[in-house]
Amino acid sequence: MSDVSSLEAEVAKLIVRTLTLKVDPAQIQPEEPLFGDGLGLDSIDALELSLAISQFYGHQIRSDDPDTVATFASLRSLCQSIEKHRTK
Amino acid sequence: MTVGWLRQRERGSRIASRFMIWMALFVGRPATRALLYPICVYYLIFSKQACRAIRPYLIRALGGPISRRDLYRQYHCFASTLLDRVYLLAGQGNRFDIDIRGLDVLKDRVARGQGCILLGSHLGSFEIVRAIGLTQQDIEIKVLMYEQHTPMIRDLFRDLNPAVADAVIRTGSPNSMLRVKECLDRGGVVGILADRLLKQDQATACTFFGKLARFPAGTMWLASILKVPVILFFGLYRGGNRYEVHFELFAEEVTIDRRHRDREVQRWTQRYADRLEHHCRLAADNWFNFYDFWEEQR
Repeated sequence: MSDVSSLEAEVAKLIVRTLTLKVDPAQIQPEEPLFGDGLGLDSIDALELSLAISQFYGHQIRSDDPDTVATFASLRSLCQSIEKHRTK
Repeated sequence: MTVGWLRQRERGSRIASRFMIWMALFVGRPATRALLYPICVYYLIFSKQACRAIRPYLIRALGGPISRRDLYRQYHCFASTLLDRVYLLAGQGNRFDIDIRGLDVLKDRVARGQGCILLGSHLGSFEIVRAIGLTQQDIEIKVLMYEQHTPMIRDLFRDLNPAVADAVIRTGSPNSMLRVKECLDRGGVVGILADRLLKQDQATACTFFGKLARFPAGTMWLASILKVPVILFFGLYRGGNRYEVHFELFAEEVTIDRRHRDREVQRWTQRYADRLEHHCRLAADNWFNFYDFWEEQR
């Protein structure tokens, strides 16, 4: 298991809380896919999640950004994107 | 889980379809429509599976025993709207005689710059929305759809009008719904056809013609997150060059309490199913879900 940064732990909690998932945030592996096989999120979840991220970190994820699909690949990639663009 | 309509491959060859488009645009609508008669008879004879699949719907919608003529009307209506899509995409919407009802519910909101969800179905033609004068005001109209099942038709229509291909938001990508949200934020209109269940969709069971059928659960959930007005749309084909288009306010906002998500999604979707059933009774032959809708034949 790879190390989990504090931001990753925080965002894992945000994901679980926003989407009311029945998983323990600590169980979300940073490299595990968020969509499909991994955590099993869908595109409506992605929308909710992006709204929550915009609210808490001031980072608006946009569909026309070529990196968007990569951003949603895993908890780690999502946190890297937040780290880079956050305004709060 | 298997969903009936995905199993039914789109029939007809690319060459035949290209020929029909050429006929439509260069020979004319009356001559091309004449060809629809033998084509529909052909399908009536050879597409046994689709005939069998649509039978339970027709019995319910028409309220009694059905004849081959009823089946034929179904095919002919479908073929007619498919042909008319060629004209709509070619920008010839003015050739149709369209009776528009309730347009103000959409127009007023769009004029205020308010994004709206246009909730449609596979009853009649959604494409006819392009012919009702909304588009002249430079209003962005996008349609959320699962496209992969009809690559041939998609390519053909893309050749006719590349701008329309851009107007499709494909489902299935993490950013699909971000695109929906962004379009609505710009004051655009997003069409969603909410009657067809896809393999990956979560379902909610609603009473439809007195019997439970599964509808996609995601539509109402999405609407509740987007918090924009939801307007029902039915583009009914009425024979000849006539269409009858209905707009109805479904909800200023779909509100769903997450704690009772399943129950409330079902309640909202049932309202949609009820309106769909109402319009099915007005135009039974416009039903283009040529598959086992109630999943009774497995």
